[in-house]
Amino acid sequence: MARNLGGFLVLFLAIAICEAASIFQPISDSHRSAALELFSPTDGSFGSLEDTYEALRTFEILGIKKRPDISTASCQSVSETLGSSTSSLKDVFHALKVNNILKCKVNDETFQGVAKRLKAVLNDASSLLDFYYSIGSLVLIKDQNSEVDVLLHDADGVFRSIKALSQSDGRWRYSSNNPESSTYAAGLALEALAGTVSLASSEIDQSLIVTLKNDIVKLFDSIEKYDDGSFYFDEKLVDAREHQGPLSTTSSVVRGFTAFASVTSGIHFLDVLPKSVDVGNYKFVFEIVLHDSEDKNVYATGGQTQVPVFVTGLIKIDNAEIAVLDSDHGSVETQKKLDLAGENAVSLSANHLQKLRLSFRLATPRGNIFKPHQAFLKLRHETKVEHIFVVGNSGKQFEIILVKFLGSTDFLGLVEKFFYLSGRYDIELTVGDAVMENSFLRAVGHVELDLPEAPEKAPRPPPLAVDPSSRYGPKAEITHIFRSPEKRPPQELSLAFLGLTLLPLVGFLIGVSFFY
Amino acid sequence: MSKLLIFLTLIPLLPILTTSFSPENPSGRRVLVLLDDLALKSSHSVFFNSLQSRGFDLDFKLADDPKIGLHRYGQYLYDGLILFCPTTERFGGSIDLAAILDFVDSGHDLIIAADSNASDLIREIATESGVDFDEDPAALVIDHSSYAVSNTEGDHTLIASDEYIKSDVILGSKKIEASADIAPVLFQGIGHSLNPSNSLVLKVLSASPSAYSSNPKSKLSNPPSLTGSAISLVSIVQARNNARILISGSLSMFSNRFFRSGVQKAGSPIKHEKSGNEQFLTELSKWVFHERGHLKAMNVRHHKAGEADEPTIYRVNDDLEYSVEIYEWSGASWEPYVADDVQVQFYMMSPYVLKNLSTDKKGSYFTAFKVPDVYGVFQFKVEYQRLGYTSLSLSKQMTGFFIFTAVHLYSK
Repeated sequence: MARNLGGFLVLFLAIAICEAASIFQPISDSHRSAALELFSPTDGSFGSLEDTYEALRTFEILGIKKRPDISTASCQSVSETLGSSTSSLKDVFHALKVNNILKCKVNDETFQGVAKRLKAVLNDASSLLDFYYSIGSLVLIKDQNSEVDVLLHDADGVFRSIKALSQSDGRWRYSSNNPESSTYAAGLALEALAGTVSLASSEIDQSLIVTLKNDIVKLFDSIEKYDDGSFYFDEKLVDAREHQGPLSTTSSVVRGFTAFASVTSGIHFLDVLPKSVDVGNYKFVFEIVLHDSEDKNVYATGGQTQVPVFVTGLIKIDNAEIAVLDSDHGSVETQKKLDLAGENAVSLSANHLQKLRLSFRLATPRGNIFKPHQAFLKLRHETKVEHIFVVGNSGKQFEIILVKFLGSTDFLGLVEKFFYLSGRYDIELTVGDAVMENSFLRAVGHVELDLPEAPEKAPRPPPLAVDPSSRYGPKAEITHIFRSPEKRPPQELSLAFLGLTLLPLVGFLIGVSFFY
Repeated sequence: MSKLLIFLTLIPLLPILTTSFSPENPSGRRVLVLLDDLALKSSHSVFFNSLQSRGFDLDFKLADDPKIGLHRYGQYLYDGLILFCPTTERFGGSIDLAAILDFVDSGHDLIIAADSNASDLIREIATESGVDFDEDPAALVIDHSSYAVSNTEGDHTLIASDEYIKSDVILGSKKIEASADIAPVLFQGIGHSLNPSNSLVLKVLSASPSAYSSNPKSKLSNPPSLTGSAISLVSIVQARNNARILISGSLSMFSNRFFRSGVQKAGSPIKHEKSGNEQFLTELSKWVFHERGHLKAMNVRHHKAGEADEPTIYRVNDDLEYSVEIYEWSGASWEPYVADDVQVQFYMMSPYVLKNLSTDKKGSYFTAFKVPDVYGVFQFKVEYQRLGYTSLSLSKQMTGFFIFTAVHLYSK
C-alpha cells in the first residue's frame, strides 16, 4: 500500500509542479535561445564548477546540441578538483556532476581516492550538507565507474544520523547545533537518504523507511497553494538565513522526494487514448482520485492538469453542387456539380428574381457531420466590391448549407446590399477549421447577375482602398510643342515681288528726277 | 557668482546639447518606450538591443508611470515613441491621446503594438493614424491555410505571412532571409483594416486570402468584419510632415520568442531555422526612425546653356540647364541618392515641360531643355513622391517678366 501511495504521490507532485504554468507549454526553441543567451562562457568556461553544471544540465534538459565548447577547460578543472585532497566536498560533488555530463577522462585511482576520502567524511559527519555532498558524490561515482567500491557497510547508521536531524513537522535542520529547521533542507535530506538506500550493501531496516514516509506526509502538511491552484513549498520563516525562495524550495523537495520514491517504489505510466476519438478540440484533464476514501484525510488531491489537444484529420467533401433556382417554385433552372478538391470554373447567370444555392457535405473520417468554424462564400464584383456570407448548415440533412442570396423574400435587402451592381461576380468558397487538415480556399467560378437599375437614393458602394503604387511612380514626360514657322515662299520669289513692288517707286523717282 | 557665470555661458550651448529631430539629422536618438509590464524589457530584448546598438537611447517607462511626459518647457524630450502597452487604458503623467497626436504632428515617429484585448486608448491612437482594429475584443486573425505549424498552438492563430510590401526602401534591399525561399513572418494578434479615405497609410504585411478575423472560441453566425487580404497585420504611415508611424496588431511578433523561433508554413515542406521577424521588424524600424528613405534636396541651379550665372529672365527658345542635388539619410550621414525617376517640371498653371533628370550617381541630377515659346511666369518644380520615401517638393519661380514686344521682334 505504502509503495502505491508513494507512486501516486510522485505523479501528483510532478503534476502540481508542472502546473505552475497553468497553460501547458513544452520546451521550444525560444527556451533554448534564452538559455544560450543566459549561459555564455567567458574564456572557455562558465566559471565555477557549480555554474558549469547548471549550464550543462540546462542545455541537456532543453536538448541543446550545439552548446558552447567548454569541455577542455572544465575537464581540467574536474581532474584538478578530484585529484586534490584539499578540495571542498561541495566542489567534489559538482565536479562529479559535471563529469557525469562531459565524461572527462578520470582514472580509476582518482575515483578510488575520492571515494575513500568521502567514506572517511561520512564516518564523522555531523552536518546535513556534509552528508548530502558525500553521499551524492558516492552515488555519482557509482554511476561513473563500476570498479570503485562505494557501498556503505553501515548504511543503517548513516540513515539514522541523517534522520536524527529531522524535526517533528517533517522539516530538517542543517546541523544538530543549528535550531533553524528548513523545508529546503528536508529536500536535501531526502535525497541523501535515497542515496544511502541505493548505496547500502545490505537491505535497509524497513522500519526506518516507514518512519521516513510518515515524515514526508507531515512535510506535505506545509504545502501551500497559489491562486491558480498550483502547489508549492516554501520556508515557514521567509527571513531565515538559508531562504531560497519557493521555486528552489519546491524543486529541492521534489528532487529529494522523487529520488526517495525511485529507490523505494516505481512510477506509473498512462497510455490510453480512446479508439473512438474523432477530430475536434479536446482537453486532456489529469486528476488524482484516491482509491481508499479514508486516504482523503491524509492526502491532498487538488490541482487539475489540463492540456488542450487538437485531433486533426482529413474532412471528406462531397455532394457539392451549385444551382440557380426559380424563386417562386423552387424549380431548378441550372445545376452544376462541383469538385471542391480540384479546380472549378462554373459559369452561371441569374437575375434578381432567382436564388442561388450552393451546397456541399462535410464528414469527419469517422463519418460524422463536420461543422467547420470558417465557411464563407465570397462574391466579388468586377469593381472589387466584395460580399461575404457565412454558409449556414441545416442540421438534419447532411447538406451543410443553403445560401439564398437573391429572392422575392429578401429581394430589396440583398439587391440593395449589392448596390444594384449588375455584372460578373466571381464566386469563392473558403472552408477551414483548426482540426481540418484540408482547409481550402477555392474559386468556384462566376455568376452573371442581372439586377434592376439603381433608384436615385440607392446607397453607393463604399470607397475602395486605392492601390498605393498607383499614386507613386514617374509621370509621363511632356515636351513642349513649339509653334512651327509659317510657310513662306522661296526667298528669290519674295525678292522678285519686292523688286516688282518697288518698281513703280523707282519709276516715280526717275520721273521726278527727269522733270526737274 | 562663478556658478552663475558658468550657467550663463552654458545657455547658448543648450540647443547644441539637445540634439533633436532636425532637417540636418533626421533620425533623432531619444526614444520613449512605454510598457504594460517591465518584463517586456527582457522578453523583447532582441528588438530593443537592435535599436540600442544602432545608437538609440531608449527610456523604458511603465505606461501608467505618473512622471512620464513627452515635453517640458515647450521642448520635446524624445524623438520617437514606442507603445508596447496594448492594454493600457490611460497613460500616466501628462501623456494622453492628444499629446501623442501632437507629438506626431510635430514630426516625431511612433510605433504602436496592439494585441488581443487592446484598450480603447490604443485603438483610438490607431484610428487617428488611419487604421481600424477589429472591434470585437476577443477577435484574433485566424488562417486555416497560412498558419505556422506548431506543436503547441492548434487554433491556427499563429500566422505565418510572407505577403509583405515589395519595397526596398521600407524593408531593406536584402531579401528577408538571404536564401531563395523566404522565411515567413510570425504574427499572432488582431487584424486591422486601412481607412480607405487615408492615402498616407500603407499595408506592409497583409494576411492571406483565406484569413479572417474572429473569436476562435465561438461559433460564427455573421460574416466577420475583416476577411482575406484586406486584413492588414502591419501597416505604416508617412504623414505629410514626414513623421512616420508603424502599427502592428501583435506585440508578440516583436518578442524574442518569435524572433528566435523556427517557422514552417502549413503545407510547405520547408522548415526555416528562424522566422523572418527579426529582419522584417529591424528593417522596418530603420525606416520608421528615418534611417532609410529620408531625402533632402539642395543646390538647385539653372542657367542658360554655356553660361554659369542664374539669369533673371529667359527668352523663349533659350536652351537652359537645370540641376539639383538629392541625398538620402543613412542613419549616420547623407549619402547620394541614386534613382532614375526624378523629374522636373517647367510649370505655369500646368506643366509645359516635364522631363526625367539624368544623374551622375553621386547625388547630382541634371537636364537641359529649350524654354517653351509661351510668355509668362514659370516655375521649376520637382515633385518627388515615391513609396516609402519622404516627399520632395521644390519650386523655384523665375523672377521678372518677359518683355513681350522686344522679345517678339527679336525672335522674328
